[in-house]
Amino acid sequence: MLIDIRNLYKIYNEGRESEVRALDGVSLQIDKGEFVAIVGQSGSGKSTMMNVLGCLDIPTYGEYRLDGNDINSLNDKQLARIRNREIGFIFQGYNLIQELDALENVTLPLIYRGVSVFDREDMAMAALAKVGMDDRAHHRPSEMSGGQQQRVAIARAIATSPPIIMADEPTGALDSKTGKHVLEILRDLYRGGTTVLLITHDDGIAATAKRVVRLSDGRIVSDRQQEVDWE
Amino acid sequence: MNLWQAFKMAFKSIAMKKTRSFLTMLGIIIGVASVVIMVSVMQGQAKKSMEMFEKMGENKINLYIWAWDGGESVQRVMDYCLSLNTYISGITPNAEINDSVTIQYGAKTIKTNDWDNYDWSTGQDPWMTMLHVKLGSEQYGVCNNYKLASGREMSYLEVEKTLPVCMLGAGAKEQLFGFTDPVGETITLNGDPFQVVGWYQPMDLDWQPQMDNIIVIPHTFNRTMNNNYDMNEYVIKARDAQSTVKAMTLLTAYLNGMFPKDADGNRMNGSYDLGSDNSAAENQQKASMMQSLVMGAIAGISLLVGGIGIMNIMLVTVTERTREIGIRKAIGAERSSIITQFLIESAVICSIGGLIGIGIGYVGTMIAGKLMADVFEGIILMPEPFIAVGAFLFSVVLGIIFGMYPAIKASGLQPVVALRAD
Repeated sequence: MLIDIRNLYKIYNEGRESEVRALDGVSLQIDKGEFVAIVGQSGSGKSTMMNVLGCLDIPTYGEYRLDGNDINSLNDKQLARIRNREIGFIFQGYNLIQELDALENVTLPLIYRGVSVFDREDMAMAALAKVGMDDRAHHRPSEMSGGQQQRVAIARAIATSPPIIMADEPTGALDSKTGKHVLEILRDLYRGGTTVLLITHDDGIAATAKRVVRLSDGRIVSDRQQEVDWE
Repeated sequence: MNLWQAFKMAFKSIAMKKTRSFLTMLGIIIGVASVVIMVSVMQGQAKKSMEMFEKMGENKINLYIWAWDGGESVQRVMDYCLSLNTYISGITPNAEINDSVTIQYGAKTIKTNDWDNYDWSTGQDPWMTMLHVKLGSEQYGVCNNYKLASGREMSYLEVEKTLPVCMLGAGAKEQLFGFTDPVGETITLNGDPFQVVGWYQPMDLDWQPQMDNIIVIPHTFNRTMNNNYDMNEYVIKARDAQSTVKAMTLLTAYLNGMFPKDADGNRMNGSYDLGSDNSAAENQQKASMMQSLVMGAIAGISLLVGGIGIMNIMLVTVTERTREIGIRKAIGAERSSIITQFLIESAVICSIGGLIGIGIGYVGTMIAGKLMADVFEGIILMPEPFIAVGAFLFSVVLGIIFGMYPAIKASGLQPVVALRAD
């Protein structure tokens, strides 16, 4: 079991009138090598779910084991290590650092990982090549289109070859053609053995995943496997 | 993440945001430069005034004795002074011949105290410019802080044996000899020949120019040339500041014994007055210390204002970069890496700003020195390295603290909170 959450709660302003239960007792198990889409309307708690799963946020209550590690018992440093080595994030807004060019953005997680200066650039270039952005290595985010920026963000996510990729609305800001291309990259990663978590509000995109978990009001309302035709 | 990488990242981030970096530096530049300039000007001023007092005679004790028995008490005081040679390095009468003396050298004739023929229309105080014939000992030069220009001082025997020799002050030398060397020449005082054995370098005291216009002859000439008037004024040279205090104490006790007070509080046998220029120097020191405090306060305030500038820009800078911190955390940056990065960034910016500030401070100090050349004549204003380094360190530490604080705060946030910031 790669991801194992049980009775997870994320409650804002607990005990007050404005209390919001973003996650209201969620349990979910994901195995290595799955392609899971987490879908729901906006406000259903799916982004909170990804933040908690990605160790970007801590749950209010509940258990979370990632590859056997009890996340609640880890300290800041250990969480940073997990975010660096275990998980690659792809955000809707790309979240590239504007002052750095594509190559430097992709190099960052390798720097934090402590990869030697000699290997770093090769690894980053390889990641860029995987998403077809190696010819734009020295462009800054402001000099690239949205699709290109998202591909750089994917390259950054896969640079450390993490076993899990989490993508929060990766196609949300892209036109359908580039969106398709981004999904294609995710599928390639899945084929290569990476566990992929895709968070989306778009049922059309969810339809391309092997497993669809539907959230509503912070609760899982359905969880089903489906056959998909990826040709 | 290694340190080299952190440095590279810091430089990159500084280079990327030139305006922001410059604004940050500006606060430090202004703070450091103004402190350096102000403190330097202030120190130059203090140095100048101390220099004046030193020239006039530091560790110099002025003694006035009015003894009813004439010379005998005075002689006892002189002998006592000689016994204090651990503290005192010289003593001389400082009497002046108050009658008019006719001084001649070659075809030149100058009369002292020639009040009737003085040209009052110049508006100058004749006392300042006229020559004065002084009665002194062989230690006259030492006691009054004169420095020998050429020749030698009078000797003990010349004084004791009443030999006709004399010393010239720089002004007297100029009036009588112009640019020629007076040593070995003979001048006459009221017709009696005196051989010039040496002359003193100019004192150049603005408020006591008469100190250069002197002719010193052995005080033993008092009887023949000064109607044997009582010599009341003596100058004692102490070895250093502490000796001055010690000698003053001992002399006061000795003189109090010699001129005791009666029941009504009036002194018997005569009277005395003892004072030292050190007290004047001390007063000046106090005054300049007060000035230092005021200037220091102003400098401190300007540093504070500069510091607040640094603080503001650092706060804004890091706050606007909370999102960047969030991104870095999301891709695996440890808290310490982020703090290190911001620490180095602040340190680099503040150091560059501080160095520029010191540079401007030095240039500014030199410009200030030139503008105020009249006040600082002879002194080249230069900031003390200690001040420059102090101001520099203060700004850098301030910049680092205020650069770090928001970074520490932001790096402690959950990544998702930092990512939400805009």
